[in-house]
Amino acid sequence: MKFVKFIISLLAAAGLTYALNRPLGPVPALGRLFSPFEGFWQNGESKLDLPPTNLQLEGVQDEVNVVFDDNRVPHVFAKNDHDVYFTQGYLMARDRLWQMEFYTLAASGRLAEVVGERALELDRYSRRIGMADAAKKVYENGKTNKIFDEVLNAYSAGVNTYIKQLKYKNLPVEYKIIGYQPEEWSPYKTILMMMNMRNVLNGGSDDFRMSNALSKYGMEVVKDLFPNYPSNESPIIPVGTKWNFTPVPVPAVPAQTTATLSTSESVAFDVPQHSPEIGSNNWAVSGEKSATGLPILANDPHLQLTLPSIWYQMQLCTPTMNVYGACLPGAPGVVIGFNKDVAWGVTNVGSDVMDFYQIKFKDKTKKEYWYNGAWKPTTMRIEEFVVKGRPESLKDTVFSTHHGPIVYNIASDKNFNQNVPVGHAMRWVAHEKEGTDLMAFYYLNRAKNYDDYRKALTYYVAPAQNFVFASNQNDISITPNGKLPLKWKEQGKFIMDGSNPAHDWQGWIPVDQNPTVKNPPRGFVSSANQFSADPTYPYYLGWRFAPSERAIRINERLEKMQKATVDSLRMLQNDNFNVEARRILPVLMKILNADSSENKNPAYQTLAKWNMKNDANEVGATIFERWIKELRYTVFEDEFPMTDLKAPMAYPSRNRMWDMIVKEPTAKWFDNVSTKNKQETLQDVVKHSFKASIDSLTMKHGPMNPDTWAWNKVKSTDINHLGRLPGFGRQDITNGGGAGIVNATTELNGPSWRMVVQLDKGWPKAYGLYPGGQSGNPASPFYDNMIDKWAKGELNELLFMKSKDEKSSRISGTLKISKK
Amino acid sequence: MNYIIILIVSAVAQYFLPWWVIAPIAFAIGAWKSETALGAYAAAAGAIATLWVGYATFLNSVNEGIMVQKIGGLFTENIKFLKNLPVTPTFFTIMTIIGSQVAGLSATAGYHFRQLFK
Repeated sequence: MKFVKFIISLLAAAGLTYALNRPLGPVPALGRLFSPFEGFWQNGESKLDLPPTNLQLEGVQDEVNVVFDDNRVPHVFAKNDHDVYFTQGYLMARDRLWQMEFYTLAASGRLAEVVGERALELDRYSRRIGMADAAKKVYENGKTNKIFDEVLNAYSAGVNTYIKQLKYKNLPVEYKIIGYQPEEWSPYKTILMMMNMRNVLNGGSDDFRMSNALSKYGMEVVKDLFPNYPSNESPIIPVGTKWNFTPVPVPAVPAQTTATLSTSESVAFDVPQHSPEIGSNNWAVSGEKSATGLPILANDPHLQLTLPSIWYQMQLCTPTMNVYGACLPGAPGVVIGFNKDVAWGVTNVGSDVMDFYQIKFKDKTKKEYWYNGAWKPTTMRIEEFVVKGRPESLKDTVFSTHHGPIVYNIASDKNFNQNVPVGHAMRWVAHEKEGTDLMAFYYLNRAKNYDDYRKALTYYVAPAQNFVFASNQNDISITPNGKLPLKWKEQGKFIMDGSNPAHDWQGWIPVDQNPTVKNPPRGFVSSANQFSADPTYPYYLGWRFAPSERAIRINERLEKMQKATVDSLRMLQNDNFNVEARRILPVLMKILNADSSENKNPAYQTLAKWNMKNDANEVGATIFERWIKELRYTVFEDEFPMTDLKAPMAYPSRNRMWDMIVKEPTAKWFDNVSTKNKQETLQDVVKHSFKASIDSLTMKHGPMNPDTWAWNKVKSTDINHLGRLPGFGRQDITNGGGAGIVNATTELNGPSWRMVVQLDKGWPKAYGLYPGGQSGNPASPFYDNMIDKWAKGELNELLFMKSKDEKSSRISGTLKISKK
Repeated sequence: MNYIIILIVSAVAQYFLPWWVIAPIAFAIGAWKSETALGAYAAAAGAIATLWVGYATFLNSVNEGIMVQKIGGLFTENIKFLKNLPVTPTFFTIMTIIGSQVAGLSATAGYHFRQLFK
């Protein structure tokens, strides 16, 4: 009896302890998670919590001093390059380790290892497009550059020094909740992080959508509705700028410019649509236009907003460099910033750098494909997926041609096994192993003048960026820069023929012939992801860039600006004026009210009185934005279905639609082809879409009311947690803006860093912030402390220190790192 | 007395060792000094409850309650009935149950182990 009692009580105690010490399905080990000695309680931070003031670390070569300011930005003062990047790695890991690793898991298609089945499809896609493979090659190739290799290794060593001393109780809370451990860092992982940016900014394609449109409507219609240059452009390089170079010969346009096999059956991609509107703004005004007589530069890159934040602020100082700015967690150096003499910023170039080729295989084994009149062997790679919660790993076979990997989705696998197997190979600039993007930032961080800027740009490959520049020698410049394929006109607008050598990418635009302009007569340079140059530029870059409204607005305001100050540029970053409304709203209102039937409609009256600004409290903005979306859908979804599973297409641009409404009011596209025996007119479509907009807004937000229909309530900007952990993000942020607005804040995207730098002969003055905080710890007061200020459009003055001994009331702590 | 010993020993031990070290400590004290099964259970459960609640209260107040609110938001999104409960008391209760049950049951097992040799 005694024995039985003992056994029962022992089993109960041991069983409970064991059960609480291991994860159950998606639930992490609860005992450990709830223990105040190890679990989430340990991740709490206080405002007073300052990091230790002295550290002895293996890996530094000399003493390093770090000063933390009141926004917890580290200002690193090191005696050499190695130590500055080592410390950068160490401090970034301390604040952002989970985020850094998450990006690398995403890029290398390994998310399912930690989150299970639900990430598997994304992982398969990431593996097929070969980002991990490319990252390895980029590093292997890049490490022959000694500086590149040393910087990456010093950074890695810093990250690993931090990881090595981590105990469970100090792990970022996401590791505890999801239940895994950080892995060792390496230079390869830094490149993976950069791959992520290549994918976010350059990883989309319209090719198959355009091919579908082409096969249904023919070339004439496509040329008309999807032109290669918009009617309302305000290009980055001002019209009339001379091209100071002799162009290299451009490959001739082949007789046949698209794939020849039928595409409608076999194309079923999961490739995301080309989205050049994931954009950004930057500009610089020259001394002639500024109050100080020297340039002022501004930049706000728009990305999907997340917590922890995409950016991390740092000052990095050595005897040969002193730079401040926004860094990417996982990568050494400053990406957007300034030093004593220069400032620079970036926005995305929306050129077409991802193309698809139709591949004809010899048989089902896919071992050979037809190219240039002969069978050519493919290469084969087996991808293995470890999935959390699955006892066995999964395998996927990826074939590659000389173009690139064959990408297709599961649904279309069935198609491949029937009759003639057809696949689609991807040619993507992100696979380029040449070049060392990070070296461009390495040299920009140290740049002293315009020539240094030009030299730095030659290192940069992808994702191509519009590098804006200003110096205290009164130079301003902008250069759409990166490795850009030398294409024949319209090459890659449609799916191409993988067997035809004339369809291959045949070279690159010489880097010194990328569009650029220095000190233009208009006194400013700017970009907002629009076309890099007008059609006088001798090379074809792509047919679709971001819509031009932001660019038009920025340029018209800068044009008028005199005696510009930091504040005038800050206000331009927050400009909510709706250029599209100015252009088309009066036209639409006239059509809508042609028979005076809408006079009494309160929604119509609200629109009529609207100031055409997408301010937070405007109901007019809500109605207008909803209406033009609905209008575009009504006009084009019947002929160019975006959501058609078999043959999805894209709508003609908004600019094209406005031209059609004004100049071709009787175009056949206004008719709804799915209504038989009825011919809809432009007026029908305008009226119908207006009514539908009001109905759907009423359904979702109740009857029209200045509070519930306010633009910020309907748009409702959310900054979610990077790993989509509920409760770790910030929802329903009060602000204005919109997709075609200079203040490009939408539901999920927006200015991820705003910076304004006033150059000076002595010492620059700079301002900036991002919607988040320096700490990646959700329980830290510095996790999201800048969001409210950001939403209001304010900026923080950035503390740019001359030396470690500089006195400032903003210094909140110091850290001395010495050699162990 | 047992209550005090478990409280002190496990406070020190948990600083260096994983959380489950409370189980062998409670077992050992239960085997060594307990008079009754209930007494063993109560002393150990009480000690860990005190220790965990005390330490967590300290950590929580230093952090102004942000962490527990975030974790609360995370759990209530997945387990709907938690939505209607106040986050902080709920999480203190869950924590207390986990710690006190592991310690209490271990001490009881220790007590019964001792009885084998009596």
